[in-house]
Amino acid sequence: MLSASQRRRTLAIAAGFAATTLLVTACSSGGSSENPSGSAGGESSAAGGGAGGSLIVGTTDKVTHLDPAGSYDNGSLQVQVNVFPYLLGTDYQSTDVVPDLAESAEFTAPDAYTVKLPAGLKWANGHDLTSSDVKFTFDRQLAIFASGADDGNGPGSLLYNLDSVEAPDDTTVVFHLKSQYDQVFPLILTSFPGAIVDEEVFAADAITPDDDIVAANAFGGPYAITSYSFNQLVQYKANPNYQGLLAAPLTDEVNVQYYDESSNLKLAVQEGDVDVAFRSLSATDIGDLRNNPDVKVVDGPGGEIRYVVFNFDTQPYGAKTPEADPAKALAVRQAVADLVDRSAISEQVYQGTYTPLYSYVPAGFAGATEVLKDLYGDGNGGPDADKATKVLADAGVATPVTLNIQYSNDHYGPSSGDEYALVKDQLESSGLFTVNLQTTEWVQYSKDRTADVYPVYQLGWFPDYSDADNYLTPFFLTDNFLSNHFSDPAVDELIGKQAVTVDPAERQKIIEDIQAKVAAQLSTLPLLQGAQVAVVRTDVSGADTTLDGSFKFRFAALSKG
Amino acid sequence: MTTTLDPSAAQAPAATRRRPTGGGLGSYVLVRFLLIVPTVFILVTMVFFVMRATGDPITAALGGRLPADQLAERIHQAGYDRPLLVQYLEYLGQVFRGDFGRTLSDNRAVTTVLVEHGTATLELVVFAVLVAIVVGIPLGLVAGYFRDRGQDAALRVLAILFYATPVFFAGIVSKLVFSVWLRWLPVSGRASSRPQIELQTLKDPTGIYLVDAIRTGEPAVIGDVLTHLVQPALVLGLVTAGVFLRLVRTNIIGTLGTDYVTSGRSRGVGEMRLVRKHALRPALIPIVTVMGMQIAMMLGGAVLTETTFEWRGLGFMLAQYLSARDFVAVQGIVALLAVIVAVTNFLVDIVAALIDPRVRY
Repeated sequence: MLSASQRRRTLAIAAGFAATTLLVTACSSGGSSENPSGSAGGESSAAGGGAGGSLIVGTTDKVTHLDPAGSYDNGSLQVQVNVFPYLLGTDYQSTDVVPDLAESAEFTAPDAYTVKLPAGLKWANGHDLTSSDVKFTFDRQLAIFASGADDGNGPGSLLYNLDSVEAPDDTTVVFHLKSQYDQVFPLILTSFPGAIVDEEVFAADAITPDDDIVAANAFGGPYAITSYSFNQLVQYKANPNYQGLLAAPLTDEVNVQYYDESSNLKLAVQEGDVDVAFRSLSATDIGDLRNNPDVKVVDGPGGEIRYVVFNFDTQPYGAKTPEADPAKALAVRQAVADLVDRSAISEQVYQGTYTPLYSYVPAGFAGATEVLKDLYGDGNGGPDADKATKVLADAGVATPVTLNIQYSNDHYGPSSGDEYALVKDQLESSGLFTVNLQTTEWVQYSKDRTADVYPVYQLGWFPDYSDADNYLTPFFLTDNFLSNHFSDPAVDELIGKQAVTVDPAERQKIIEDIQAKVAAQLSTLPLLQGAQVAVVRTDVSGADTTLDGSFKFRFAALSKG
Repeated sequence: MTTTLDPSAAQAPAATRRRPTGGGLGSYVLVRFLLIVPTVFILVTMVFFVMRATGDPITAALGGRLPADQLAERIHQAGYDRPLLVQYLEYLGQVFRGDFGRTLSDNRAVTTVLVEHGTATLELVVFAVLVAIVVGIPLGLVAGYFRDRGQDAALRVLAILFYATPVFFAGIVSKLVFSVWLRWLPVSGRASSRPQIELQTLKDPTGIYLVDAIRTGEPAVIGDVLTHLVQPALVLGLVTAGVFLRLVRTNIIGTLGTDYVTSGRSRGVGEMRLVRKHALRPALIPIVTVMGMQIAMMLGGAVLTETTFEWRGLGFMLAQYLSARDFVAVQGIVALLAVIVAVTNFLVDIVAALIDPRVRY
């Protein structure tokens, strides 16, 4: 029983709590939801283009910038492909490049690629979408890249062959190229720098902030973003003004929830907090989820590759080492190729989520061969210690050879350590190598690797566009992205030739020739090819449709129920 | 900053205890307030120089991605090639004006990051303090009252478990039990997707989800926010609850043995009244004095709690920006945390001065 004073005190405390809550609530300028449907800003609402329903996608990807001129990463690309229009694209389950926003696209002169747009195109905000927007898009990509306003994050380097853009009328765009009949340029239009932007919203020489883009509803893809919280939660609604290649979205509203930890993403899809988990679950989590009756694991083709880079200057017997000897250096590389057991890495470390890669152009692309399987190891993809021993002995290399191998502990997933521990074990168990395994944080790693600090090191690659060229040009041209001092004029010539060869069969033959030459010299040693994996609740369909060679996760194909 | 206690005054008989003369409460408050300035100044200075000891922010964030000439140009444009002292003075000026610059990794105004994510941390810490008080004080009372008996032993073990268990471990175990096995509570985040969208699109949101959820007037949204709050608040709050439990227990034992409690008991005052009114109240004073320190510790613990539960507060963002080597963002967040700790200690000192007669001013 409470006394009178106790009752008063209790009431006072309760009143205090209530008053505080009310005060805070009232001070926050009382209101109800601005728009229950969630539409946020923009001149027109972007709803109603789809067939209804909603679903939640979870991901650990990160967005750098919504602005296509400011980002060159998969997290940003996954947003961009769903909200920005592209002149060219690929349909689901196809690698053929066809008009997307465009009506037609073709070479009208050896160095002129002409794209025709349909008349009457509109952005989600109601602005006219014309050739002027297209010219503005590519002019600003080049300007921002040249000025460094993208902080090194932009994809402007992919437009290396673009000289200028012309818009003679509202529906015609002419791209003037530096080299003739560039077969790669149409592919680049489907990729990072190909996202067209609204010239009335985007800045010509600077990265446009995400919030400004969302507020202006400057979208023209299958979806428009209607609510945006940076790397936390993004709401998409079907864009009724979309007139591209894909059919109208099967789901009206898609919410993308960003997770920091893949373990939380795994729990979220397991418990039904999200309907789809796409990138990146660990191999262990995927293996676990395959046995869960509440979810489906959907596997798709993968263009990601993992490989070892040899620095031709600093590797054992490299050009700038005291014992420089090109023949011995080649023997060392060949012996490593003979000894690695890709299947063991695939099964033991990645539980099959990465598959052995014996080619420079991975499986699924025109021109893919298994040239390394024939040249090295037992001829069937397995290791061969005797062959490695003979190669080193024939070249006069004293064994064991000391190899300093570097890998990144924070850039290529948590299993990199296990992967390279196994590589070390495979090389050392032969008795031919002594491996010093070292790891460095990515920021430092990315500086060191191009400064000749690492003689042998790990790298990975995710394609910019779906073509064999993207696995050759960046790696094997003289002065390539690897900066590993590999140079072969014959390879340079063939790479240049394949890029301008119109006949597909002839081009494929050249691509195979390039790989044969590179495989003999082993500038890099491909190890694994990654698959795309999405985990969906059992009532979700369409993930198998969008997991294709385009490597774009397109929400328009997804539906629930 | 800690409260000044006079041990001799504490031991003096109540009847003869007298507040020592000094400058009065006003000057006490003023001095404590002025002490915030050097505290924050020292912390901001330390953060600045420690960060710069590893290089300039541009190289840290963008090195390896920009060609050397562009990198040098960016460093020059940002003024990071000037003498460190000049940069420091300029930084102090910016901080004084409330301008913390823009983050290097995602080009956001640091003040936006502080406001957006600071509210999340505020919400978490407030509820964690609530958990600490609701759990720690009653259990400490019980433990002290049943000194050296079974209940006391059990509660002492519990207290040790509370404050000795690493926050991230407690978080993982909690998620396993309540989210995976029992499926009672959500795994992570501050709200489910749909309620979060609703909160995002609210007009003039406070960023404190519970307040915003109440404003929507939808019980489902309020319930969703509360269920997301339970685990992080419990995990963070129980650490402090363990400290409170031990502290209250020790003080209850002390006050239960004082003359005035013995006297009250001999006069026939009821046991419950004796404990609550005469023993507990003075035993709570030290709780107030350690509150400031505990809130500082909670902010440290929030980094791990927020990371474990993906609670996107300042702690979570601090971890993100650290891994991205975004020193501009880190400087801003740490400076804000320093201010919060200093101000909290100031407030605690004032409250302690008001309620504790032993405090001299």
